[in-house]
Amino acid sequence: MIDAIRAELIKMRSMPGVWVTFALGFPLAVLIVLAVLANAGGFPGHTFYYVESLKQRRELLGAGYFACEVLAPILGVLCVTGEYRHKTMTTTFVLRPIRSQVLLAKVAVTALWSVLLALLTLVAVAAVGLPWNAALGGVTSQVTDQIGAVVPGLLVSAILLGLFGLGFGTLVKNQIAAILLTIGGTLILESILIALAHAIFHYDLNWLPNAAGAALAGDIARGFGGGGRGAGFHLLTWWQGGLVMLAWGLIPLTIGFFTTFRRDVT
Amino acid sequence: MTAGAPSRGLPIEFSGLSKHFGTVRAVDDLSFTVQPGRVTGFLGPNGSGKTTTLRMLLGLVHPSAGTATIGGQAYQELPNPTSTVGAVLEATSFHPARRARTHVRMAAAAGGHDPKRADEVLELVGLSADAKRKVGGFSMGMRQRLELATALVGDPDVLILDEPSNGLDPQGIAWLRDFMRYLAGEGRTVLVSSHLLAEMAQTIDDAVIVSFGQLKAHGTLEQITAGMTSMVMRARTPEADRLTGVLDGAHISYRRLSNEEVAMDGVTPEQVGPLLATNQIVLYELTQEGADLERVFLSLTSGLGFGEVGHGNDGSPPPDAGGTGGTSEAAPAQ
Repeated sequence: MIDAIRAELIKMRSMPGVWVTFALGFPLAVLIVLAVLANAGGFPGHTFYYVESLKQRRELLGAGYFACEVLAPILGVLCVTGEYRHKTMTTTFVLRPIRSQVLLAKVAVTALWSVLLALLTLVAVAAVGLPWNAALGGVTSQVTDQIGAVVPGLLVSAILLGLFGLGFGTLVKNQIAAILLTIGGTLILESILIALAHAIFHYDLNWLPNAAGAALAGDIARGFGGGGRGAGFHLLTWWQGGLVMLAWGLIPLTIGFFTTFRRDVT
Repeated sequence: MTAGAPSRGLPIEFSGLSKHFGTVRAVDDLSFTVQPGRVTGFLGPNGSGKTTTLRMLLGLVHPSAGTATIGGQAYQELPNPTSTVGAVLEATSFHPARRARTHVRMAAAAGGHDPKRADEVLELVGLSADAKRKVGGFSMGMRQRLELATALVGDPDVLILDEPSNGLDPQGIAWLRDFMRYLAGEGRTVLVSSHLLAEMAQTIDDAVIVSFGQLKAHGTLEQITAGMTSMVMRARTPEADRLTGVLDGAHISYRRLSNEEVAMDGVTPEQVGPLLATNQIVLYELTQEGADLERVFLSLTSGLGFGEVGHGNDGSPPPDAGGTGGTSEAAPAQ
């Protein structure tokens, strides 16, 4: 199993698309830092202002959540669809004929890259967000005090979002279609569905991936986790959100394994 | 057979192997054994089921029936698959942005082998100088070599190669031929599929010929070609029409090659000579064609069998057409 993981790590780090996706984590996190500080400001004489409230401080520290929400699923998709796109699955299955091991190795590697992505966004916050906040008059320790409340949720969210992408990549072999399904589906379609369900049926579609992920991540996701969740929208509890996100990853992964992944490689 | 070759290979056994894709029988009840220390050619026209058979052997395609084993075990059950079997399947199975060395290192990692092995096998296939180049810029021949390096990373006892000559230049083909001979000389089992018969005839010890998914012949190259020797006679005559009439009457199969030429299949000079003399047919030339792998192959894979190629009117077998095919193992498997 360790050998399979090693091989998957080599594959991931030798795919340019993975590095491009990964690198986008930094500027995306900086953009959200900018948005958080702008949101704290916005009154006469202050376009940007330091974060004060608990919610704002957590949003600043967890500014990378949005990057993880967008990019971690893509990492998961690339991990598996890259094989179909370049027909390397044949070699993979010859080298590791027990296919469940291949999939488990991909789960492990996707989780690792997702964690690295989350850590990269924290680096962006540390490098840009905290100094900027301090320059605006904020107290850095008041933000870093929230590490325990923010970072575990960010890391677990990133892992589950990566798994979500891997699941859809396993199910939908076409790379573009899988990316559109995961990103377009969660960021665009989900927002529309949530808004419609709320307006027409007065029902909170809080078990869809984006909303479930927001529940797991807590305060860091509420401001910038996608549109369509207006006032009065009830998120699941964090642990319910985590379980639902896990299901969003595992269900397509399982279906994909028993269908696409186990099919004849002709 | 390479004399005195150390026995490090394993036999490959196919037993009643079948694969149906809907109503199409890609592979139909295929049974044969590939012996270690020999280069075995797996020959058949395009679409004859060669690749599907090899993929079933490697666990990539699930058989509809039957088994394919290596040393008595299915590929998925081998404790160290890459140390036992190396496979060259398709030269396009590379990520174009991956460097050659990275690709082989990935394969080494997957099989639990020393990463240094990557450089060794790249040198073995003559790609050391290109190890740091991205595979996207490789020629087809270089990709074939890289695929071979990947297959060799575990120093396997069994080599399975699917159309490895595709895209190789003459030098590459000669190199591959020597390389396969070298591997078999070490006692390894080498199974190579191809439709390049002239090339295969210079390389292989044994041949397995398939057509429409069915086994047509299996044996040593000598046994298979011997089965065809003395069975093809070519006559050049100004009375070709009358000759074919005589052949129809004698139930001998034939092919009209030109206005003056007729090829008679499944007959010996002793059979055809008296027949032509009795019917007083003028002959300019009567030759017994030398049998070669290509002729056997074409005869066996044309959809008809020995003695049936281009048969005259009623399709019944020619006299004494059977019984010249060697042993049952080496003979056409009909």
